[in-house]
Amino acid sequence: MSLSTCMIVLMAAPLIAALAIAALPSKAFPRAVYECIHVVSIGFVLALGVYLVYVEFTTNTPITALSNWCRLDALSSVFVTLISIIGALVGIFSIPYIQHDVDAGHMDAGQVKSYYAFYSLFLFTMLLAALSNNIIMMWVCIEATTLATVFLVGAYKTKLALEAAWKYIIVCAAGVAFGLYGTLLVYANAADVLDDPSQAIFWTSIVPNADKLDPMLLAISFTFVVIGFGTKAGLFPMHTWLPDAHSEAPSPVSALLSGVLLKCAVLVIIRFYVITVGCIGIVFPRAILVTLGTLSVVYAAFAIFKQDDIKRKLAYSSTDNIGIVALCLGLGGPLGIAAALLHCIFHGCTKALMFCLSGNILMKYDSRSMRRVNGLLEVAPVTAVLFFVGCFALSAFPPFAMFISEITMYFAAIVQGYLWLVIILGLALTVVVAALAIMCVRVDFGHAPADVKKGEVPVMALVPEVILAAVILWFGIAVPQPVVEGVDNATSIIVQEQVDPLYSDALLTGIAQVNK
Amino acid sequence: MQLSVLAGLSIIVPLVMCALIAMCPRSVDKKLSLTGVIISSALTIGVMALFAAQGMQSQTVTWLSIGGVAIMGWVFDKVSCLLAPTFVVIGLLVVIYSTAYMSPSNREHPDEPRRRFYAFMTMFIASMAGLVYSSTLIGQLVFFEMTGACSWALIGYYDTEKARKAALKALIVTHIASLGLCLAAALLFWKTGSFEVSAIASLQGGWKTFVLLSVLFAAWGKSAQLPFYMWLPSAMDAPTPVSAYLHGASMVKVGVAIFARALISAGEVSEAVGWVVVIGGILTCLFAFFMYLPQKDMKRLLAFSTISQISYIFLGFGFYIFGSDMSFAGSVMHIFNHAWAKTLFFLIAGACSYCLGTRMLPQIRGLVRRYPVMGVAFAVAALAIAGCPPLNGFFSKFYIFAGGFQVAAGNPALMVIVIAALVETVGCFVWFLKWISSVLFGEPSEAVAKGQPLPPQMGAVFVVLIVMVFCSGFIAAAWLL
Repeated sequence: MSLSTCMIVLMAAPLIAALAIAALPSKAFPRAVYECIHVVSIGFVLALGVYLVYVEFTTNTPITALSNWCRLDALSSVFVTLISIIGALVGIFSIPYIQHDVDAGHMDAGQVKSYYAFYSLFLFTMLLAALSNNIIMMWVCIEATTLATVFLVGAYKTKLALEAAWKYIIVCAAGVAFGLYGTLLVYANAADVLDDPSQAIFWTSIVPNADKLDPMLLAISFTFVVIGFGTKAGLFPMHTWLPDAHSEAPSPVSALLSGVLLKCAVLVIIRFYVITVGCIGIVFPRAILVTLGTLSVVYAAFAIFKQDDIKRKLAYSSTDNIGIVALCLGLGGPLGIAAALLHCIFHGCTKALMFCLSGNILMKYDSRSMRRVNGLLEVAPVTAVLFFVGCFALSAFPPFAMFISEITMYFAAIVQGYLWLVIILGLALTVVVAALAIMCVRVDFGHAPADVKKGEVPVMALVPEVILAAVILWFGIAVPQPVVEGVDNATSIIVQEQVDPLYSDALLTGIAQVNK
Repeated sequence: MQLSVLAGLSIIVPLVMCALIAMCPRSVDKKLSLTGVIISSALTIGVMALFAAQGMQSQTVTWLSIGGVAIMGWVFDKVSCLLAPTFVVIGLLVVIYSTAYMSPSNREHPDEPRRRFYAFMTMFIASMAGLVYSSTLIGQLVFFEMTGACSWALIGYYDTEKARKAALKALIVTHIASLGLCLAAALLFWKTGSFEVSAIASLQGGWKTFVLLSVLFAAWGKSAQLPFYMWLPSAMDAPTPVSAYLHGASMVKVGVAIFARALISAGEVSEAVGWVVVIGGILTCLFAFFMYLPQKDMKRLLAFSTISQISYIFLGFGFYIFGSDMSFAGSVMHIFNHAWAKTLFFLIAGACSYCLGTRMLPQIRGLVRRYPVMGVAFAVAALAIAGCPPLNGFFSKFYIFAGGFQVAAGNPALMVIVIAALVETVGCFVWFLKWISSVLFGEPSEAVAKGQPLPPQMGAVFVVLIVMVFCSGFIAAAWLL
């Protein structure tokens, strides 16, 4: 099987799984059947995704399919890895979680069926978004992720869940429409200036010709793109859908939304960022991204502090971290971009862990409020220890992974001469540390309400969490060489020249370039 | 090479034990913790011995570098090889003491110790060793934050509302302080392309001052100097062995240790830094002294005493910047000496809680009759802190002040500062003498008369610490000079 076919199969597998689950009548088959198809689907995505990324990485040649509509390069590799690994781990976590929901009467057979169907569909749309080389397709894919997830957000069909789902689809659809406008501007402009207009739809054809595009149009289109896809990514002030959707969705879905989906929207912003920087330089994109990023970080820091609901806290923390990613992109330079990509990976793992843990808490306490959720250490000690690890990892304490990306962000800011920014960020992130430390204390310690039964959640729910915790600790102590090189290669694509900011002497070269 | 293996193991072994404590049943937590810390103590002492055997040549070993840029490394010199075993061995003594203290028979805080106490204590000790040996600002930052997280968990151990607040305060204040270190690391890297502390020497003029002041900011926060002192008195809600470790050999010593490391590496330092250091030092010193006066709780008194003692160390560093090597040696000696004396003092406060059920000084009288070991230890610790010869505090303060007078000759402003500090030591001496006479002598008060016997582990730890309070001044002088 050729690599192109492999890539098509990678995308088709979860789609087929979704269709298969949807086609089966919900009453006639036991839940186990859906679970099996679900496991096959996530296992397939994991195996093929990692295999393709491995091939791309070792041969260092992009893989294309469907006459260049889909393309796996170093940049999309980062995101495909994230989708396949976190998708699989969270997918495993889903099984005991949904089982619990069925036992507790929160879901009936039909809801379970649609949960698994949409889960696979969700994976499919994200993979398509990450692999798309066609800029219009990118927009379509991001819209498709909204459609696939809106039913997952509203899965419980409670009043609040439906309201959250409604808000989610309205805000995102309206927001992403701006993205379409920005996309079309780029396409129309490229069709004008490219020698072969039929190529104007491909990102890979626009990028080398970015300098021929109209600077004014590009500035306008980038603004629209950031507003549009920034809505989907959860940047302040377009983040309003995010806390509701993340908190009302089933916890595994929250994990996937926050850990991976937001990053897919960031990937689209990155794609347009490359074109824009190629055309009008970094000053304008930097102004937009640094402003929105800083506002997101500062606003979300206080919002996290104020919340009483564990999942809403985590949701605002996503806005906070997406703010960091946008900010790093805005700072630019090899170091800033590497920081942004590393933060995408590390935050994806950490946040997936935290949302899964919030799922454990829901299973035990049937509540997300910190007023009720106390004494986790007595109730479920393993979850409590993981929760402790997660809180400190999310606060970017060493020796956990996010420490590395946040410190790289500080370095990138200093290197670009943004000393004031470092101070603002440092203080805002201190508020986050305080908020998460308070959450950790209140959840882990104290005494559990009398009606909460002691006992750990099922092993199958714990295994993915332990793996995620181990990964963030591992990446924090020693980022594995392939990850470093992968991020280096992706950074090279973004800055459009061969650099390796994290590897070899180029860390210094990068700075030398900036100083010039 | 062997040095770095030993140093690395001295950090990894307790960290592994910490993970094991979290995974194993509660019955073995003390044993695991003790094993880890004993091994770590032996290894750090091994580093010290090997370093001495190799002729005391300073050396730096990089063990993690990315593309030629050193990220983490160890430095072995007279300072790190002296301080690491100090902090780890004191940690060991504190763990031994805790095995008796953290028990249901404790009168003030009866407690069935939970695993997290030993887990975090062990991790704390490992982080301290790591911090002292670190040769790069990134390494220091990592261990700096780890000590912050450990102290958070330990200060909040009793899980009361007050303890939770105190823990958060310590975490946040020291986290803000860590931003100084972060800034220093970023600036150093930007300007020199290196994270090694020794690169500070190659910085130009204003940047060197800026980086050193950033490190100083971090050091002030962690060492509870003005304007960041507030977390330390609040941290008295911690179990007393934790307070002893925080004050004697960990949190507050982190600050002075990183600043000492920066100064050692900085070469010529501008006097502007010197003025900031000495003025900060003297203000903190006087402030802390006035805060002694209203304190009735032994632990709070000791907390302010720690703040003022640390300010001497900063004063010594300041005098070093003005040109006195003697003051620098005095300050490093004071880190070493104060560690033993203050640990002893806090552990006595803990023994009072344990045996008498109170640590309010006015309620304690006639201690020496009922508890001779504790009484002697109290007197020794108080006199050592006050700087009475031949106890250890005298020697280090002597060096600091001798150096101070040396550089202040012909500099009236500096002379005022030196004299003010000297007056403070006299005041401190008088104040401690007052409490010695009221606590030790006379008829035992009700609390003392009804006290329960001192557990043997505590007595043994006191004896070791008393011996060290007598000897450490000589050990430090022999090692450093």
